[in-house]
Amino acid sequence: MTKDLVLIVEDDPAISKMLHYILKQDGYKCIISENLKNALRTFQTHNPEIILLDLGLPDGDGKSFIKTVRKETTIPIIIVSARHDEHEIVAALDAGADDYVIKPFSDIELSARIRSAQRRSIGVSPSHDTIVCGDIILEHDALVAYKKGVALNLTPTEFNLLKYFMTHPNQVLTHANVLKEVWGVGYQNEMHYLRTFVNSLRKKIEDDSSRPHYIVTQMRVGYRFNCENEKL
Amino acid sequence: MTHFSYKNYIIPIFLQLTITGFGMLFTDALGMVNMALIHLIPVLVIAVYGDMKATMLITTISVILFDVLYVPPKCSFSVHDLLYVWSFILFYAVGYIITFQAIRLRSNAIKDILLNTLSHDLKTPLASILGNAAILLKEKSISEADKEEIAHQIKRSGIQMNRLIQTLLDSARIQNSKAFMRYEWCDIQDIIGIALQEFNRDDKGIRIEIDHDLPLYWGDEALLIRLMVNLIDNAMKYSGYSSSPIRISVTMQTSEIIITVFNPSDPIPKTDLRDMFEKFYRLDSAGDIKGSGIGLSICKEIVDAHNGHIEAYNAEGGIEVRVALPIEKLYTSNKEYLS
Repeated sequence: MTKDLVLIVEDDPAISKMLHYILKQDGYKCIISENLKNALRTFQTHNPEIILLDLGLPDGDGKSFIKTVRKETTIPIIIVSARHDEHEIVAALDAGADDYVIKPFSDIELSARIRSAQRRSIGVSPSHDTIVCGDIILEHDALVAYKKGVALNLTPTEFNLLKYFMTHPNQVLTHANVLKEVWGVGYQNEMHYLRTFVNSLRKKIEDDSSRPHYIVTQMRVGYRFNCENEKL
Repeated sequence: MTHFSYKNYIIPIFLQLTITGFGMLFTDALGMVNMALIHLIPVLVIAVYGDMKATMLITTISVILFDVLYVPPKCSFSVHDLLYVWSFILFYAVGYIITFQAIRLRSNAIKDILLNTLSHDLKTPLASILGNAAILLKEKSISEADKEEIAHQIKRSGIQMNRLIQTLLDSARIQNSKAFMRYEWCDIQDIIGIALQEFNRDDKGIRIEIDHDLPLYWGDEALLIRLMVNLIDNAMKYSGYSSSPIRISVTMQTSEIIITVFNPSDPIPKTDLRDMFEKFYRLDSAGDIKGSGIGLSICKEIVDAHNGHIEAYNAEGGIEVRVALPIEKLYTSNKEYLS
């Protein structure tokens, strides 16, 4: 992999140094901005391949920055945030951010997020008829899914939900987004549908539905479908 | 903050009746002013250790008794001299002021305990982090294996601090006001799954049994996650080196959801089981087990906030904590949309 340039937008030097160190270990080059104004300039002059953005910056709201960046490019934007502002995270994701990590986070977590965001922006086309994730196979046209070779007895909604998850693997999917895509516009607030169906889908596709491997809950934000076999 | 139960009304009401009986015998000897002062006593007693609601209730009883029994015309609610209306208002004012001040003093006392406990519980892992980091920086000749062990210790201490901070933030949210509760439809199984994520790979020894058809539960998801994290954390701390597993079960009963968490342990005396959920309580035998005693008291707060009940008892081969969460809003899925 070429040494991609990462723009770190973070005002706390302790965190930005640590991010720099983790990224350097993974073979990235880094450039640090301490505020949004500076970040915008760096973005325009250096053309970074990835952006790590702290939401609590001194000179304001990261959302406008995300929107500005999104007008020009689809490069991965990953939010780095402190707890207790899930609304901010959801808003940032809606504004066009790809993913998020919550402080305190581990280096492994951060590296994994960056890798999967990059994989997506390079473009994995989900247009094949068959999608495979671990021991789960989903066939679009036949409307059938299998686990370990055995056909799953899914209801139409369960199938659509699984299909949506499998066509958007390894990324955070907000509640509102899943509801809109699977149930339709106007269902964005019907959280209990989602809770009920994720629960029943887990019982069918997970080995242990109390310790889910595929459908992982992102507290107060949404879900992430883990699909590790996907190759770059 | 102590939860004020109906038991606490008994003493002032009893006092009230005694005073009234006493007053009726000596009305003529004592005169109206002294009667009024005597009737303030129950108000003062309740105001010192009760809440505003209790004070207002006892004050109302005092005022009514005083009015009916002594203020002319006797045995009637009507008042001839409007001056007495001022007496009644003063009764309420005295009750209000004393209760207000007493609550303030009590919360200061709690703040003191909280600060002491906190500084201890946060400083211990912090000392470990700083100390271990200093070793890594200074000692050049540590073996790779030792370095790794030191780094792991730093990480563990960090996780411990993080968990405590999270618990405190949630605790603050409940204590501020119940209005801060964020009710939504919760999947208890998902909540247990999220709680287990906090323990990374240490949770393999935990067995989980959940009723297959458990409905969604109307509660505060973040608080219920905190409840489970603290119960699991506690079960792990007190399991010692036993090889038998921790067991979590969730069952649905007619009007409640019952969550039990069992951990292997020696039997614990009854008084300890009862006091376990009090703030900052720790078993004498806890010795060097890390923890603040905040964990279980916040569990009680969370369960109380959901109008539920939490208790601990000796079970075969260990202790079991049982949480009963009443179903206040039954989930009825709209099947047409749900196929």
